[in-house]
Amino acid sequence: MIDGIINMLQNHWFWELLTLACLIWYSTITIYVAVKGAGDIHNMLRRLTESKK
Amino acid sequence: MTNFSLLDGSIVALYLLVTMVAGVMVRKYVGKVEDFLVAGREMNLYLGIASLAATEFGIVTCMYTAQNGFDKGFAGAIPGVLTFLAMFLVGYTGFCVKPLRDSGVITIPELFEKKFGPRIRWASGVVIVLGGLLNMGVFLRTGGDFLVNVSGMNPDYLEEMMTLLLIGVAVYTILGGMLSVLVTDYLQFIVMSAGLIVVTFLILDQVGWSTLVNTVQTHYGEGGFNPLKNESMGWSYVIFNALLNTAAVLTWQTQIARVLAAKDTATGRKVYTGTSFFFVARFLIPGIWGIAALALLTPEQIAGNSLLAMPKMLGLIIPAGMMGLLVAAMLAADMSTDSSYMLTWGSVIYNDIMAPFRKNKWSEKKGLFWNRTIIALIGVFLLIYGLWYKLEGDLWTYLGITGTIYLSSMSVLLIACCYWKRANSWGAAAAIVCGALLPVATLTLQKIGPYTDWFKKNDTVCGVAIYVIVALAMIIGSLLKPQSKNV
Repeated sequence: MIDGIINMLQNHWFWELLTLACLIWYSTITIYVAVKGAGDIHNMLRRLTESKK
Repeated sequence: MTNFSLLDGSIVALYLLVTMVAGVMVRKYVGKVEDFLVAGREMNLYLGIASLAATEFGIVTCMYTAQNGFDKGFAGAIPGVLTFLAMFLVGYTGFCVKPLRDSGVITIPELFEKKFGPRIRWASGVVIVLGGLLNMGVFLRTGGDFLVNVSGMNPDYLEEMMTLLLIGVAVYTILGGMLSVLVTDYLQFIVMSAGLIVVTFLILDQVGWSTLVNTVQTHYGEGGFNPLKNESMGWSYVIFNALLNTAAVLTWQTQIARVLAAKDTATGRKVYTGTSFFFVARFLIPGIWGIAALALLTPEQIAGNSLLAMPKMLGLIIPAGMMGLLVAAMLAADMSTDSSYMLTWGSVIYNDIMAPFRKNKWSEKKGLFWNRTIIALIGVFLLIYGLWYKLEGDLWTYLGITGTIYLSSMSVLLIACCYWKRANSWGAAAAIVCGALLPVATLTLQKIGPYTDWFKKNDTVCGVAIYVIVALAMIIGSLLKPQSKNV
């Protein structure tokens, strides 16, 4: 894994770094949004219910 | 022959069932037109990020960005980098989106009425709907082509499969509006992202980074890594894409709808900055899939169609079990895009094009009825135009032209509306006319006349020129109109 990343960085570092950043960022944000987004839906529906009362 | 098994079918069926049920269940929260169109302006940051990302990644996006990777190498991902920069800067500075969200409008043309009058609002609505719906018209068939090639399904059932999918999406969008779109987008974002990430790691593991780099080097040389050294790209390609993507960030209906549905202006801006890097992934991840197809497939397998190379490659290398995740991910991507497009363009028809018919305020019940009817009619249009009618000619040019008809004039109008006091209805009308006619004229000159070769070779130069001319039309038109004594 580490060897693969080092090899990546030796060839066309811009695209390699961007690909690495992309995969790390996307994996992280997916988990983060999955957790926090559920809370957002809950709060949105609660506020809509309250506004109707 | 692909690896689509019974297990894969079960994964896809489960995903579809959960999404449909969730989409239909939130219908009870819709009481007003504002709930239906902008979710009562109760959308918070993370739901906004999930929704914007899911909406802006459909199968058609995956196909064309993969084709960019196949045809241009890594340099084909440059539009994604440019979109990231544009969206981050717009979100960070609040350029245009702050005054737009602060104004409390539901659509962009509604803001234009305050500056340019009701006729410009109506004309803007027509241009937005025309460009948007024609653009969306090709989504269904392209999505169907992908699914058929990946799953190995009989192509004879493509129309029936995509019709059923569209009906399912239309049902929950009609019932729950933006609320259903947001909730299903959230689920679709998770499924879509999981599929994209897992498949990319699988490709990197099976093909290897060195093979991808060497493939690009062999086929395109330095031009596969640097857009300025690529024969089919260059400076004009980069500048045109910078203008196009900035205009899309400012005015593309599905993107700006998230700013307008946000609970406040600060949240809307954070949705933009938080989602911006996703646009790099949107181009780079399918681009890598396209490069992998270039590395793995023989010319016989590609059969001259670079658009279908990526799904063919996936059909060959993705194992059973994971194929279900991939198809579910792509269905998620397509459904979230379709639902959001139907709703947001429907909102412009109701809010702006039908505005002259609503001079006496309509009841919420009547407003909801018409919004739901419009979405159903858009669904019928998509079915007839996009699926049962086979489009002739180059699809990429088609998408570019239909997009530019709307983006060039609307972005210029929005900037002038927000930041130029002297801007007025004459300038706005001139910009709308130029923005609508010039792309069509360019397309015509690419096919007829003595300079067809020049126009074909310099299509991005023409694209840049259109944006400049539309901006000049706004300036000259506005300066020509006599100023009111009250101003």
